[in-house]
Amino acid sequence: MQDLVQLLVSGVALGSVYALAALGFVTIYSATGIVNFAAGQFVMFGAMFGVTTVLQLGLPMPMAILLAVAMMGVFGFLFYLGVHLPLRTQSPVTVVIATVMIGLSMQNGANLIWGSVPFRLPSPFGDGTLTVFDSAISTHALASIGITAVLVAALYVLMQHSSLGRVMRAVAQDFPTARLMGLPVGLLLACSWAIAAVLAGFAGLLIAPMWFADAHMGDAIALKAFAATIIGGFGSVPGAIAGGLFVGLAEILGASYISSAYKDLLCFGAMVVFLVARPQGIFGEPISERG
Amino acid sequence: MTNRKLLLKLVSASLVAIAGMPSFAQSAIEIGATVPLTGPAALSGTQYHNSLRLAEERINKAGGINGKPIRFVFEDAQSINPTALNAFMKIVQEKKPTFVFLSSYSTQNMAVAPEVLKARVPVMYAGGADALQALKNPYMFRIRPADSTAAVAMAQFVKGTLKATKPGIIYIQNDFGQGAAKAATKTLADAGIAVVASEAYGGNDKDMSAQLLSLKNKGADAIIALSFPQDGALLLRQIKTMGLKQPIVASSGVFLPSAMQLMSAADLENVWGVIDVMLETNLNATSFVKEYKERFRVDADAYAAVYYDGAMILADGLRKVGPDPEKLRDYVARVKNYQGVAGTFSFDDAGNGIHEVTIVNFKKGTKDMVFVSKVVATP
Repeated sequence: MQDLVQLLVSGVALGSVYALAALGFVTIYSATGIVNFAAGQFVMFGAMFGVTTVLQLGLPMPMAILLAVAMMGVFGFLFYLGVHLPLRTQSPVTVVIATVMIGLSMQNGANLIWGSVPFRLPSPFGDGTLTVFDSAISTHALASIGITAVLVAALYVLMQHSSLGRVMRAVAQDFPTARLMGLPVGLLLACSWAIAAVLAGFAGLLIAPMWFADAHMGDAIALKAFAATIIGGFGSVPGAIAGGLFVGLAEILGASYISSAYKDLLCFGAMVVFLVARPQGIFGEPISERG
Repeated sequence: MTNRKLLLKLVSASLVAIAGMPSFAQSAIEIGATVPLTGPAALSGTQYHNSLRLAEERINKAGGINGKPIRFVFEDAQSINPTALNAFMKIVQEKKPTFVFLSSYSTQNMAVAPEVLKARVPVMYAGGADALQALKNPYMFRIRPADSTAAVAMAQFVKGTLKATKPGIIYIQNDFGQGAAKAATKTLADAGIAVVASEAYGGNDKDMSAQLLSLKNKGADAIIALSFPQDGALLLRQIKTMGLKQPIVASSGVFLPSAMQLMSAADLENVWGVIDVMLETNLNATSFVKEYKERFRVDADAYAAVYYDGAMILADGLRKVGPDPEKLRDYVARVKNYQGVAGTFSFDDAGNGIHEVTIVNFKKGTKDMVFVSKVVATP
């Protein structure tokens, strides 16, 4: 029983981080139709910005976190200006290749800036553990679950109940009409990128104390976030969360009860099954033409 | 049209300049080195990139090879097999060196081995997998203790000193981990001890809680941890987070400086290490360690040390028998009891140069490494 509690909490904590990374991915896809293959590197940048503000600049933790998140927001905005804007008239394949290339550049750039030695980012919630039902749960894992829930709720409130969210959804639904109605579409698209970058940044800051931060951490996260998006439903926000939790739980529970050597097969196997049997994922809508 | 002409002129000018360059280097003896300079493997690669450059400086400062300078030509082996192979082929085809240093990754060394045989150039490598000595490639010389040497020492320590009767093994799923786990299991079995659990995790995994729980539930009273640096640091930390109190015997990777800086003193409690060499206590290493730190601002690790020794052995060979690949091969094969920075080198028939490991643990409450004993494997 205590094993199950420990494994469930680990699985949900891991799944929450994957869900945040997948949310960053989905936010961009819903708003712009772009599949951002640099999503994993966004998460890595979030972690590395945290390394700079917390470890290298030595700022007090709350300020350091806020600064790292703000830096991610600015980075998202710059990404829009430097990558999306010049390529907005190109074919989707061109944009995909561009994001792959940017992803590689980000990874190697991070290697040059921060070096290849990994960093240990301390958790803002300390290294302690709580004993629940006889099993040791780290406070950081519990806090990760809590923070993800708060961020998802905040995103929901922003998108559904604020005027900014309303106009962002308008741009996502029908770009030409939104433009004709005089909405500042460029600014709103930039907001989408900034929000996606901030979500990825939180994912990076939450995962770095668990995993250590280094320039190469993005690849593993990107693959799992991608699988989470496909399983949950491409373009769906509840799908990203469900997919992320599923992938996290499958990884942890599968390793324990089925096989530790083949646990990745379980998660990617599930992804393949979904692609074959139900391509729209758990929550997605059946495939339709994007305007 | 003018732009085109200008471009053509620039290209031909630079071609002439490049063609002219080799004339500076012709007089130096060129030694190849395929070292991971980028990617995750660069964590270790940088260490021996540094020490080989340090060796080059020291050799040349001492008069070079009978008056001629030596020059290491580096190619980036990166972190996967195809790039390591390409790096080796490039050096062999372009420079035709009399000797090459390979990387420290068994999987890369295995990939390059057939080409080494074809090119008939002697190489030194630091990958530890037993599969490498099974190749019986006469041109390959290992300058680190083989993984099986370390694994056997770990198993003997678990039985002899820790007196564990139900050990569990957790290992990284690759050539190193699998090979070492097999060697440790066999040593324990020969001594009449059955391993209660043997769990694997992937190199990129960040959560080993499932595997650790399995070890706990199967009643392991000691844990043998076979890992690479970064995952090893994660593993040791998670062992403590999960409240496991068993003594841990860990392989050398997790005690490299790059991994040590990721752990706290609490993570190292009740942890024993089987490492290649403890540079701090090796008297032969003092000036090397000091000069390395001054030059490169980071602490030298065991990899830096062994490649440095390899370069020095090579320099001796070059001075005695000249830059002939076959003669160098025979020279290295006959090296016995060379006292290096990293230990005593004596190359055996399988090409293994080092046959000793060091057992360490840590002063309670600190990350200070304490020498426990040196284990010399019977060749």
